[in-house]
Amino acid sequence: MTADGLVAARRAEEISATLPPLLLAAQRIAATVSHGVHGRRRVGPGDTFWQFRRYHVGDPPQSIDWRQSAKSDRVYVREREWEAAQSVWLWRDASASMRYRSSAGLPTKLERAELLLLAVASLLVRGGERVALLGGGERPSSSRGQLNRLALALAIGQGLPGRGLPGFEPVGRHGRVLWIGDFLAPIADTEAILGRYAHHGVRGHLLQILDPAEETLPFAGRVRFEGLEEEGEALIERVEAVRGDYGTRLAALKAGLAALSARFDWTFAVHHTDRPPQEPLLILYTAISEASDLLLPARR
Amino acid sequence: MLTLGPLGFAVPWMLAALAALPVIWWLLRVTPPAPRRVRFPAIRLLFELERKDDTAARTPLWLVILRLFLSALVIVALARPILTPGERLSGGGPLVIVVDDGWAAARGWERRRTTMDWLLDQAEREGRAVMLLATAPSGSSAAPEAPGLASPREVRTAAQALAPKPWAPDRHALVKRLEGISLPAPAHVFWLSDGLEDGDAFALAEALQRLGPLGVLVDPPQAAPLLMLPPDADATGLTARLTRVASEREVALIVQARGGDGRLLARERLILAPGASGGEVRLELPQELRNRLARLEIEDVPGAGSVILLDERWRRRPVGLVSGTPGRADQPLVGDLYFLDRALRPFTELRRGTVAELLKREIAVIVMTDAVALVDAERQALAGWMQGGGVLLRFAGPELARKPDALLPVALRGGDRVLGGAMSWSRPASLAPFPAESPFAGLVPSAEVMIRRQVLAEPTLDLPDKTWARLTDGTPLVTAEKRGAGWLALVHTTANTEWSDLPLSGLFVDMLRRVVALSQGIVGVEAENVLAPERTLDGFGRLGAPPPTAVGIAAREIDGAVAAPEHPPGFYAQGAVRRALNLAPGVGEPAPIERLPAGAARAEYGDAEREAELMPWLLALALLLAALDGLISLELRGLLRARRPVRVERLARAAALVALLVVGAPPAWAQAPAGEAFAMAAAREVRLGYVITGVEEVDAVSRAGLIGLSQVVTRRTAADMAEPFGVDPEKDGLHFFTLLYWPTVPAQRPPSPEAIRRLNEYLEYGGIIFFDTRDGGAGASLGGVGPGTQALRALTRGLNVPLLVPMPADHVIGRAFYLMREFPGRWTGGTLWVQRDTDRANDSVSSVIIGTNDWAGAWAVDEASQPAFAVVPGTGNQRELAYRFGINLVMYSLTGNYKGDQVHVPIILERLGK
Repeated sequence: MTADGLVAARRAEEISATLPPLLLAAQRIAATVSHGVHGRRRVGPGDTFWQFRRYHVGDPPQSIDWRQSAKSDRVYVREREWEAAQSVWLWRDASASMRYRSSAGLPTKLERAELLLLAVASLLVRGGERVALLGGGERPSSSRGQLNRLALALAIGQGLPGRGLPGFEPVGRHGRVLWIGDFLAPIADTEAILGRYAHHGVRGHLLQILDPAEETLPFAGRVRFEGLEEEGEALIERVEAVRGDYGTRLAALKAGLAALSARFDWTFAVHHTDRPPQEPLLILYTAISEASDLLLPARR
Repeated sequence: MLTLGPLGFAVPWMLAALAALPVIWWLLRVTPPAPRRVRFPAIRLLFELERKDDTAARTPLWLVILRLFLSALVIVALARPILTPGERLSGGGPLVIVVDDGWAAARGWERRRTTMDWLLDQAEREGRAVMLLATAPSGSSAAPEAPGLASPREVRTAAQALAPKPWAPDRHALVKRLEGISLPAPAHVFWLSDGLEDGDAFALAEALQRLGPLGVLVDPPQAAPLLMLPPDADATGLTARLTRVASEREVALIVQARGGDGRLLARERLILAPGASGGEVRLELPQELRNRLARLEIEDVPGAGSVILLDERWRRRPVGLVSGTPGRADQPLVGDLYFLDRALRPFTELRRGTVAELLKREIAVIVMTDAVALVDAERQALAGWMQGGGVLLRFAGPELARKPDALLPVALRGGDRVLGGAMSWSRPASLAPFPAESPFAGLVPSAEVMIRRQVLAEPTLDLPDKTWARLTDGTPLVTAEKRGAGWLALVHTTANTEWSDLPLSGLFVDMLRRVVALSQGIVGVEAENVLAPERTLDGFGRLGAPPPTAVGIAAREIDGAVAAPEHPPGFYAQGAVRRALNLAPGVGEPAPIERLPAGAARAEYGDAEREAELMPWLLALALLLAALDGLISLELRGLLRARRPVRVERLARAAALVALLVVGAPPAWAQAPAGEAFAMAAAREVRLGYVITGVEEVDAVSRAGLIGLSQVVTRRTAADMAEPFGVDPEKDGLHFFTLLYWPTVPAQRPPSPEAIRRLNEYLEYGGIIFFDTRDGGAGASLGGVGPGTQALRALTRGLNVPLLVPMPADHVIGRAFYLMREFPGRWTGGTLWVQRDTDRANDSVSSVIIGTNDWAGAWAVDEASQPAFAVVPGTGNQRELAYRFGINLVMYSLTGNYKGDQVHVPIILERLGK
């Protein structure tokens, strides 16, 4: 085996060693949320029995459940629960700025993003949806193994320099996307790529992950700030003095992202790494579920 | 030199640099601190904010002050400040230091050395020449150099090499040496005396005064020299004696008795009464220990004078007297044993018994009289013992004369020989002088001793060699033969007065003493033999290898020898003979120096206080401050910040761990983080808590039980329980827990008033405490008095426990998750007590629940998540029911009366039905 091959094999081993804990953690928090969200409760194409209902004129005769009808004078139609599989493309920002945490007690933004991504994926797979990593080059799948593949892809991606925004990729007309990142790039860049997806009829969700320090700028005195992505340096003489302005700007950025999302009928949420991961998970999951419902109204 | 109060400055002009401090101040204030470097992702938001506020942060005032102080410290240090500078030497001439370095100087040697240093410091500072003279003979064979002046630096090495000697000083010799000395200028003379008069003190003082003004330093009374005297030995112990310069102070000392290997054998307090010039103390030791004694010394008083070396002369050898036929042999003034007993008892440890009895313990000499019949076994035992070094002394008598046995040094002729008497021409014989090689050599035969009857040895070639004593006619009286390492000796007459006058004379005792001494190895001590120094004392009373100057002493002279450079006190040995030469006999009673010539100033050591050079200390402090300043700078620039949280947490953990190890807290406790970290961890996720009882087993079960319950709750319900925490109500925050499990054990200490207050607050704000008396197994319900119930009563004294009732059938706990009627734990039965439902406070949620069924035991799981304990009786699904009860309990604690309306469902349904 060549040296490169050895290195690659070793790296794969290292990565796979970290997979189960991450997956387990993701599935654990996913489990807490799934208790709160029950099935689709809609009539639709599917295999699971949903309800019997009186036969109305216009119902296809094939749908009549003769066994049930024979028990009484009326004719009953068997309805099945709606089980439409949905393709959701997931993406998380793996750029250098995501590998930040302000204190050792917190996870980095990237860790939290990957945890959430996998948790959402776990929930979706459990609900029968198909998931794939945006930019991963794979087709969406709803198999259990897809979770492992996702986790592996994430782990491999950790070693690579990531980009602050996803590239464009055809995801199908009714595909859903979920972007998890810090979205600290200039808002015009975000708008450009988001608009491109929206133009193709794709709808999605932005989850902005911020470290608490990014929210509050808890520094003082004379500080030379350095970017994590070679953006340059900023020497602030008294950080206390600019804290208010910084807050304003951050709020403006968030408002801009929210407005952008609203314009294209996407959703937008902010999550801080010092909060439990269950919070955004519930929001994301309901958002994705509802969006699906809106998109495909049930046939009644 | 500049002097300010107690401070003097050796380089005062350096202080001028203090004027530069304001400049430093200005410089420090003007320069802004270096910025901290922070890596920050949201930097884009900061870019245009840079120029908004130009007032640069300044170096904080306190840091400027710290740095100024640091600079000032360095400047002051360079000015070489000296605390309490001492008095100056008079005149400008040289300094002469005379040191008594005899045995008496050892006790206060540190003071002497300090004083010498101080004097040399002064001389060095003032550039004076110094002459250092010591009074004790050094022991080197070369003639002492003519005293001369030298620089203080050279003298300092000589002074450091100076050490007290284990013999007396020779001031007379010094006076002689001083006669030929003349100094260029009047000197300042210091005599660091030992305070003891030896007859030449006055002469020496006079001789020194010729050189210049004289100051005589003596020891303070409490540090006056002490001299141990050779102890008195008697039948039961030793009396250690001590002498000193008579003083009005009462002094308590401790006398130690040590063995040859340095082991401490006895320790006694010795009080020197006020006004007394000496004291004594008795040391009573078992014989075996006493014979191991090698030295007596005064605890914590160094010096050759406080040590007495002991040799064989102070030992008492165990001597066995074989008691033959009782009765006649013991008769006063008639029996053999009577005489032997009287002769041996004063200087030996005398034992009586049969041979077998005597040989059971260590014994040096066995004395056997005529009337002892030996059996073979005894004879063999004695032979073996002699091979090992024992000395057997036999006395002849009628029995032996009639029937000689084999245990004899020489072959005996049958029958005895009568000298003098009615039927004989011959007269009773007296003793001839003892042969030189005999152990009795040196004893003077008494003319009064008459031997009237004896047994005769067969003349053989080696008979003269075996003879220790003979009569004037040449017949042997005492014969002996070496048997292995020991001896077999025979006195050819009786031990009573029947055959001779010998037992009546003092010679008898002396001869016995020599024989007993023989067992100690004092054999063949010929007067001409030279005893070589084996181990000798140094000036501080430590036993070590002899110095090269030490030479041997002739055996005959050692008793009168005086400790001197050629013969330092110590052990002198040749072959097996070992003798101690002690300092005390040659020194005499210590007496203080009373008379000094007029003009000599007398002072005590310690009057010259050591002046302290402050520069090293100040520089060290400055260095510390500089390091601190460096740390602060790093901190201000944020270079320490990145890793700090981790470190603080680790430190806190380590500190907590250490504290726990110190107080010996249970390990379960150690797993929970402390303080703020505890609060953070407890608040971040939903957890169950248990009260730490301090009983390790109980706490472990609580923990395992709650872990098991948490797992089940997480698996079956939407509640996501994290690992449970142990809680100490004395110090941990309780508010983070909805439910506290509290197993009551008698061993737990009742909570302090502060803990009671916190527990009450916890209950008041909606917490639930679940008391488990765990008495179900003991067969006692709550009404009974199981140990847990008793403990419950003790522990809850002071707690605001509401009015309790047995749980009604329709209580919410029975419906919170599962519908349940009974609540088994590890045991079944028992009543669950809850707050009365009609209490509307706290939403009718019972703040206290009390049961007896040891639920933690039922919930407990081991590492493999398998149940850790059997449930009793275990019928049906008891464990499952226990878990269900636990789930209900957790749900109850989380949701309160949420499921309370379930209770009303039947009524609601009934109404709906209407």
